[in-house]
Amino acid sequence: MTVAVSSLAEARRFAIPPDRLRRLIGVALLVLWEVLPRAGLVPALFLPPLSQTLVALATNWAEYGQHLALSLYAIAVAMVAACGLGIGAGLLAGAIAPVRRVAQPLASALYAVPLVILYPLFTAWFGIGPQSKIVFASIYGVLPCFLGTAAGVQTIDRQFLVVARAAGATRWQMMTRVLLPAAIPTVLSSFRVGGALVIVGIVVAEMLTSAEGIGYLISRYRTLVDSPHVFAGILVVLAMVFAFDFLVRALERRTQHWRRSTRSADAP
Amino acid sequence: MSSVVPIRTDLTSAAAAVEPAIRVDGISLTYGAQGRVTNALENIDLTIAPGRFVVLVGPSGCGKSSLLMMMAGLRRPTAGTITCGGRAMTAPQPDVAGVVFQEASLYPWLTTQDNVEFPLALRGTPKAERRERARDKIALVGLAGFEDRYPHELSGGMKQRVSIARGLVQDPPILMLDEPFAALDEQTRMSMGNELLRIWEQTGKTVVFVTHSLSEATYLADEIIVMSARPGRIIDRITVDLPRPRTYAMMATPRFAELRERIWDQIKHPVGE
Repeated sequence: MTVAVSSLAEARRFAIPPDRLRRLIGVALLVLWEVLPRAGLVPALFLPPLSQTLVALATNWAEYGQHLALSLYAIAVAMVAACGLGIGAGLLAGAIAPVRRVAQPLASALYAVPLVILYPLFTAWFGIGPQSKIVFASIYGVLPCFLGTAAGVQTIDRQFLVVARAAGATRWQMMTRVLLPAAIPTVLSSFRVGGALVIVGIVVAEMLTSAEGIGYLISRYRTLVDSPHVFAGILVVLAMVFAFDFLVRALERRTQHWRRSTRSADAP
Repeated sequence: MSSVVPIRTDLTSAAAAVEPAIRVDGISLTYGAQGRVTNALENIDLTIAPGRFVVLVGPSGCGKSSLLMMMAGLRRPTAGTITCGGRAMTAPQPDVAGVVFQEASLYPWLTTQDNVEFPLALRGTPKAERRERARDKIALVGLAGFEDRYPHELSGGMKQRVSIARGLVQDPPILMLDEPFAALDEQTRMSMGNELLRIWEQTGKTVVFVTHSLSEATYLADEIIVMSARPGRIIDRITVDLPRPRTYAMMATPRFAELRERIWDQIKHPVGE
């Protein structure tokens, strides 16, 4: 037993720290992306080398930039709609039990539906302009925002509300001064999931039926069998998603200590 | 004296002229549905004179915390009435009774200053006055200089100090504390007891303090209300005649042991005795 424990500790001492390991894996993938096609192990049509992809991106940067701006606009609008609505409704459902009992199962069921099957309908209703993809992505992102927030409000320390009541808070004050701030960490987590889905929704919609946006660009270059330009588009989408995730995580870190209970007997 | 006879616990003629700070009249509390009704509290009568330090003690599950929550207006009794400072406690009255809970339950997104100001902010007290009054109470509980710290930066004892300051910020005549030091380690608990006594002596509040610790009860109280196991009833009311200020040395005196023993004798019996 003690031997096993000490050898485990030993192994841990020589192990690479996880964050460095993650970075190493990232670098290794980039190197493989360059090396595999160059060595002829993967046909360049399926996977053009990283350098070629970057060159394609650099030579057509104006086109990519223009379509990226159109996508970002659609994403911003959809995100405000989806997350505003989802978080607002989630707060209500979390705080008011009858609302929750009706809305939560409905939203869960809807969440399981692959909404992309409805996209052709959206284009029929709203045309192939930005409206249809904004509506589609909004619906795509609103559900996790709603479900996450509603669940998050449920986990709020009930004692917070008792304290507010003892201090003479009205119902409205409990909502705005206790429930809302207490829910912020979980709201951010659901925003991270919902926001990412909004990005996915916009790009997918653009790839299916659209005349603009980064998804449209990917899909157009694919029909031209121009792999470097397809992958350049994919790189742009990846960069967008990572940047979003990074930003929200940074926000989450700032509210990190709200998650930790204040109720433990002694702080370190 | 220690016989388990329901006794009328109103104060005797000496204090009868003084309007009681707290009056509890025929309080009962039952919960559960038909068939499985639990009698948590049965016919509680109690008056507490202003400025007294009164401790409610009893075995766990005797309903002492429920009784305190009802006194604070945070819970409705099944029968009976409670008035504090002449006001019916059918809802919380933060300007009459400040409440300190077992867990400090400070808001983690607020600093010490803002946590203490919180009850004032709810009433719309002007910012400058709020600052001033909160600062006063923070100094009173010995936390001057910690106004801008967040709860996660404070120790357990410090959090309870903030919580006491928050309870006092509206200057209520009554302070109610529900096992406030139960989660603290023994040393911190003892020194927090002394701190509370100091604050009580400085402010002259009426204090109602719930605990399950017999030593803590004896050390702090003017009067100890002893409650029986469920259904909770008041089975004794003990006047603690140890001199003030209380010192640790008193805990080793025969009188202290005697008082402690008297409580223990009454609550050690199993339920249904």
